[in-house]
Amino acid sequence: MFTVSKKSLQASRNAFSPLNNSKRTIVFTAIAAFGDLLIGKDVRLADAMEKGNLHNKNGEYEHKMEQRTQERLNALRNTRPIEPNYEGHVPLWWYERMMLFGISGLKSYFHPENGENIVQLGEATALPCFLESLKRTMLLDKTGRRILQDRPNITSESLDMERLSKMDKNSVGYTYYKWLMKEGVSPDTRAPVTYIDDPVHAFIFKRYRQCHDFYHAINDLPIIIEGEIAVKAFEASNIGVPMAALGALLAPLRLKKVQKERLYSIYLPWAVKAGLNCKPLINVYWEEILDKDIDELRRELNVTPPPDLRKIRKERAKQRKQFKLKYETYEK
Amino acid sequence: MLSSRILSRSFFASAVNLQAKLTDVLIVGGGPAGLTLAAAIKQSPHLSDLSTVLVDAGDLKEKIGGFYHDPPDNFTNRVISLTPQSKHFLENTVGVSLMEERIQPFDGLYVTDGCSNGTLEMERDSMGFMVEILNIQSSLLAKLRSSNAPNLDLIDKTKVQSIEYEDPEDTKSWPVVTLDSGEQYKTRLLIGADGFNSPVRKFSGIESRGWFYERFGVVATLKLEYPPFKIRGWQRFLPTGPVAHLPLPGTNSTLVWSTTEPLSRLLLSLDDDVFVALVNAAFILEDVDLEYYYKSLQEGTITGEELIQDVDFRINEKFNSFKDDSVIDEKYPPKVIDILDKSRGRFPLKLSHADTYVAERIALVGDAAHTTHPLAGQGLNMGQGDVESLIKALEKARQRGLDIGSLLALEPYWADRYPTNNMLLGVVDKLHKLYSTDFGPLVSLRTFGLNLVNSLQPLKDLMVGKVSGPSK
Repeated sequence: MFTVSKKSLQASRNAFSPLNNSKRTIVFTAIAAFGDLLIGKDVRLADAMEKGNLHNKNGEYEHKMEQRTQERLNALRNTRPIEPNYEGHVPLWWYERMMLFGISGLKSYFHPENGENIVQLGEATALPCFLESLKRTMLLDKTGRRILQDRPNITSESLDMERLSKMDKNSVGYTYYKWLMKEGVSPDTRAPVTYIDDPVHAFIFKRYRQCHDFYHAINDLPIIIEGEIAVKAFEASNIGVPMAALGALLAPLRLKKVQKERLYSIYLPWAVKAGLNCKPLINVYWEEILDKDIDELRRELNVTPPPDLRKIRKERAKQRKQFKLKYETYEK
Repeated sequence: MLSSRILSRSFFASAVNLQAKLTDVLIVGGGPAGLTLAAAIKQSPHLSDLSTVLVDAGDLKEKIGGFYHDPPDNFTNRVISLTPQSKHFLENTVGVSLMEERIQPFDGLYVTDGCSNGTLEMERDSMGFMVEILNIQSSLLAKLRSSNAPNLDLIDKTKVQSIEYEDPEDTKSWPVVTLDSGEQYKTRLLIGADGFNSPVRKFSGIESRGWFYERFGVVATLKLEYPPFKIRGWQRFLPTGPVAHLPLPGTNSTLVWSTTEPLSRLLLSLDDDVFVALVNAAFILEDVDLEYYYKSLQEGTITGEELIQDVDFRINEKFNSFKDDSVIDEKYPPKVIDILDKSRGRFPLKLSHADTYVAERIALVGDAAHTTHPLAGQGLNMGQGDVESLIKALEKARQRGLDIGSLLALEPYWADRYPTNNMLLGVVDKLHKLYSTDFGPLVSLRTFGLNLVNSLQPLKDLMVGKVSGPSK
């Protein structure tokens, strides 16, 4: 055995000897030429010409592209495992579901700021058993049952932003309005549900998504990442949404040290505790309690808001300005 | 058995027993088992000469007997399923003609799991017959009356006051039964057909073992919206207990809903229309809906009207979710629209099994020997099986010239019936336990099992055969 390994050692040494230099050059040249053939400048140019990217820059081209995607989508639609159960439903095969989970998971990790990734991951992780238990929670409660019967839809129109802005300063509606204005978002920014098969489950998931902003508002948490993580943790412990739990566990990994410290010492403990103590938020008929006093609602739900995140951050920024140099070096 | 009636026998008896009348068979209890036994003895060519006395505390002759000639328009609430073998035994061996127009044969069973989509669909023509217990009892009484048997005494409205041995020291001596009318009977063979709390069993010292299920069976007679599309029994296993809905002639149907004690009280206290809504909900909606209804009814947070509306809404929602409407008739029983006034009742459910059915001069039949959960509809049929087997044992003893009260004559009966009954009791008990939980993993396991059984036709045939006898 020993001799064999010795021989092979010798052979590998030979490969680097000057004798073989010329041979290697040929190989590299061949690879380069072949690569050029596949992805080279000429080829790219030809491709662009074929697709009409080069010259045909009028609206017709875009229209054509649109048509082509529609055709492809239609062709895909015929390959679905079941007929769509509701408007906008896209039924998935099991392997597509797994791909959706894998890909959206990776994309969410690297680009959490892109809402679409998070939305897709949310639906990929919303397993029927979890949705079923959420449905159970709703069916066991009088208001929850009413929500399931009425199937309300939260939009800026249904809430009537005009009316909200004129509400009592301490009302739920105004608090929500104030929060929307402060964060610069609108109730219409919520994506529709696409991949959940059961229509009732789809409604529940949509409802959860639409109410998300209310959870921010009653706790007065901003949409910057730390606030988002805190709300996710709050939702996870209150409603048990798997995506929320996933977010609350994994998202902090990307944070800076200070942010992490703040999250672990103040916001996450608060979120878990508040979520567990609070009555199930999915059973709150937000549309009906808009003119209720916010403090009364908080008492009813048994929830107390955490310290103001924006204020803490501002204070810290002020301090940083004062000790700018020291802090900069310390933080790196 | 005239030889046994030699007066000199009572010579040794105590003074009290001097006036005691002698009899060969004394049956305590005029339920289906007791009456069947009396009628079978009188029908048997080998046993009909035995002098037989049947004692019952109820009003057998007029109230129950009158049912045969003057039946009410409505159906009574105590209805049982009679297997083809039991029916064959009653009609052909005992010679009873049941009131056919009050019997509903059914052609299958549709069993579902209340916590999942587990389904078992069994089909077979005349798998069983839904019969009122009063129908059986009164038909047997009519048979006894028409056959005019010479040495048969039916004593009703009379309780058994005490039972003792002729010689208290000797447990092999004949039992002496004292009735509350003051009459005394000394009997060669004492039959306990006196139900769960059997005094005869207590006298015999036979131990009975078992447990209460802590469930009650709620019964009622239902009115359906239209005659069923498929005449079959519907059973749904809810975590609180199975609820079953079995066909009677026309648009009638009978309900057995086993549930916990507090809930059974709740079900009895509800208004008729609310009860009807809950019955519909129990077969169509999910377990969580029922849980919500129970909770809000107990807390008083829902009015009857709200509940009815909610049930209607949920049922419509469920039905609308089917793309094909014909599935609805396939999967759910016809809608219940009313219940017969005052037809609701409840009784506790328990399992009990006597260690033995026989002792010297004593035999137990029916509920005195064993009681079971009604989920398989086997209680009364087991009693009929007992009677059939006991009659065979007695006939054989008679042919061989044995004393019919001796253990030697009676033991074949016990040996024949105990294993069969024990198996049925065990299976029913395990089924009850398996389905009285909503623990997730167990639910998926039993759903898988049920669906697997449902797809294996030979296995289903075998099961149906075990319960309803081999197919013709």
